[in-house]
Amino acid sequence: MKHAIALCAALALAPAALAHHGWSEYDSGQVLTLTGKIIESGYEHPHGHIRLETPGKTWLVVLAPPTRMENRGLPKEALKAGNTATVVGYPNRNKPEELRAERISVPGKTIELR
Amino acid sequence: MDIEALLGALEHSPLAVAMRHSLWLYPIVEIVHIAGFVLLVGAVAMLDLRLLGFRPSTSVRALSRSLLPWAWAALLLVVPSGVAMFSTHAIEFAANPAFRVKLVLLVAAGVNAALFHNGVFRSVASWDQHVRTPGAAKASAALSLLIWLGVITCGRLIAYL
Repeated sequence: MKHAIALCAALALAPAALAHHGWSEYDSGQVLTLTGKIIESGYEHPHGHIRLETPGKTWLVVLAPPTRMENRGLPKEALKAGNTATVVGYPNRNKPEELRAERISVPGKTIELR
Repeated sequence: MDIEALLGALEHSPLAVAMRHSLWLYPIVEIVHIAGFVLLVGAVAMLDLRLLGFRPSTSVRALSRSLLPWAWAALLLVVPSGVAMFSTHAIEFAANPAFRVKLVLLVAAGVNAALFHNGVFRSVASWDQHVRTPGAAKASAALSLLIWLGVITCGRLIAYL
């Protein structure tokens, strides 16, 4: 029993290799605007994402739940590979290639994601 | 068995794929999960409050007979919906500190309930109604309330940590 509790405590307190995507993970003091080509996208729960190829770096951009994007006029087709997009958002504090987008602009419209 | 491989296989299961790609499945499953734990924690909390001394005219045996079947039934809503949500990003959830603490607390809630039913509850006939509940029952009830509050807190924090 004691060993079980100790094991559970150790597991619970072990540093997370990968955390879930809360906003606190992102550095809101650093606002980045990235423009590039979408090379891959996931219109998926709990959050959509795109891989955005910008000069010199490919970012993983975390978006909103697909239900919200659909509601606000950003359908799956708007994020298909090959399209261009501009995102405004905050870099992840620990993962240098990841950004959480506050808004996204695709040709013809800008959608708020929060 | 490699846990990482097992979690990876879960992420690629048809259930996980459907949960990620279907527009409304994920929110529907979340609603089932919430409805289930409202029933579960609600039933448990009502019994715990009685054990802590509220409404001494209510029979503890009658109350537990009417509430606990609902708590068990609620698990049928809570567990499958929880597994379905977990499957979408199993590796990430397994590493999430709030999720880990939540699992530990769920085990603790189960152990606490088992100790209660196999311990002080055996003598319930002598404190069923109109008398002070034994200290051990009160301690178990207070612990149960704290643990379940912790489970709810950790469940919510999964999205924020």
